[in-house]
Amino acid sequence: MSNKPVYDREHHVKKATGIGDPQCFTGEAPAAKFKVGDQLRVRDLPDLFYTRTQTYLRGTACTVSAVVYESPAAEDESWDNTDKVEWFYSLVFKQSDLWPDYPSAFGNDTLETELPERWLESA
Amino acid sequence: MTSINPDKIVLDEEMQARNLDNSPIDLLEQIRQEGRCWEDLAPKWGVDNPEPPWKIWLEATCEVLADRNCALPALERRWEEDDLSEELYRDVPFPERQLLALAHLMIRRGLIDEKELAARTKIVEKRLHMAD
Amino acid sequence: MSDDHKHAPMVDEVSEFEILEIAVRELAIEKGLFTQEDHNKWTEYMHTLGPLPAARLVAKAWLDPEFKKLAVEDGVKASLEVGIDWIRTMPTQFGTPSDYCSFRVMEDTPTLKHVVVCTLCSCYPRPILGQSPEWYRTPNYRRRLVRWPRQVLSEFGLQLPEDVEVRVVDSNQKSRFIVLPVRPEGTEGWNEDQLTEIVTRDCLIGVAVPKPGKTANDPRPVRKALKPYDH
Repeated sequence: MSNKPVYDREHHVKKATGIGDPQCFTGEAPAAKFKVGDQLRVRDLPDLFYTRTQTYLRGTACTVSAVVYESPAAEDESWDNTDKVEWFYSLVFKQSDLWPDYPSAFGNDTLETELPERWLESA
Repeated sequence: MTSINPDKIVLDEEMQARNLDNSPIDLLEQIRQEGRCWEDLAPKWGVDNPEPPWKIWLEATCEVLADRNCALPALERRWEEDDLSEELYRDVPFPERQLLALAHLMIRRGLIDEKELAARTKIVEKRLHMAD
Repeated sequence: MSDDHKHAPMVDEVSEFEILEIAVRELAIEKGLFTQEDHNKWTEYMHTLGPLPAARLVAKAWLDPEFKKLAVEDGVKASLEVGIDWIRTMPTQFGTPSDYCSFRVMEDTPTLKHVVVCTLCSCYPRPILGQSPEWYRTPNYRRRLVRWPRQVLSEFGLQLPEDVEVRVVDSNQKSRFIVLPVRPEGTEGWNEDQLTEIVTRDCLIGVAVPKPGKTANDPRPVRKALKPYDH
């Protein structure tokens, strides 16, 4: 058996009311591993149940544009596990890195999205 | 690692939900074929509101279904709505399409019963026409 | 009856869809799926929603560099100045899974154009922008925008030169986004109300750019996705 605390159904409501989600998780994550400007890569992890890390991002290089908020990752939160809070980052990808046949005339085009720390590693 | 039993049950339910039966439902087929859509009614009566007045109640219904009791999680509704809107109800204008999709998936999920809904539409129709 | 005493026209017949909507709602309430009270609360909230506060936020940012800085750094705080409290105005008082309280304003420049999508479902900054248009929710837009952004923008009538970086923003976690477009030429000396009028919903999503004299969205294509999809 795990030592996971048992919460009532209203736990999240009580925690977030008047504060907001993800604001209600502020201060709960360990120190952020990455900072703005860091060159990272999206890890190619298996996703067994639920994820919000799109397949098209996996394994691709990116740059941190902002350290945005603390929250449990979707993989945990979707099962109501909210104890492991981590930092989320806003990341900029080059379109030509995401799609090999992206037209070279538009080599400057980019894509920005957010991911939790667990999905990221230094490039 | 510990066992994944509780999650497994939820997963099975979720996977089942994703394989929604999108074959036609008699009651809704009839409404699809014979129903008068807002985009035809509005010009007929000289109304320029782009949306029917009931759209806001439909939207509120979708929200509250995902609230508190969470009878119908928003993400699953959206997935099923996409499926039905792209196939069975693709020729119906919006938001009538969204309403048919919602009624369809609620029936298929067993949240409401087709016969009950058919009976209720008769009652509502009668009530609305009492003022005529 | 004289012209200036005319009643607003209304649809004076009951449609099958109107009946269906009521029937579904009544049955759901009777079965305890939700309460009439909760439904009323959401309906009331839905009535308050629309793109106007976001348009005003952009107009304010164009006029006041300090406010623009705040908007880009802390969208939730900046929203308060246009009457939107991301946390307390929601019926739930904390946001819902579809309306988390992280709000980011993405600033365009003459060489950078943002456009927003949610590839996973249809996340949208509803508290400040209202309900999303149907095309925004279609799998076609969601799937193609990340892969062929310029093609999709062309279909929306927006063609951008090569030296402009198109940045697609995929709203896949807890932040919701609007675009802060570049203030167009020909608006010199305009006040906040005048500027607000040309910031349409489509400009805030990023599929259009503001133009003097243009105050409405164009009709937008709703297309079926080309390939069958599997979640």
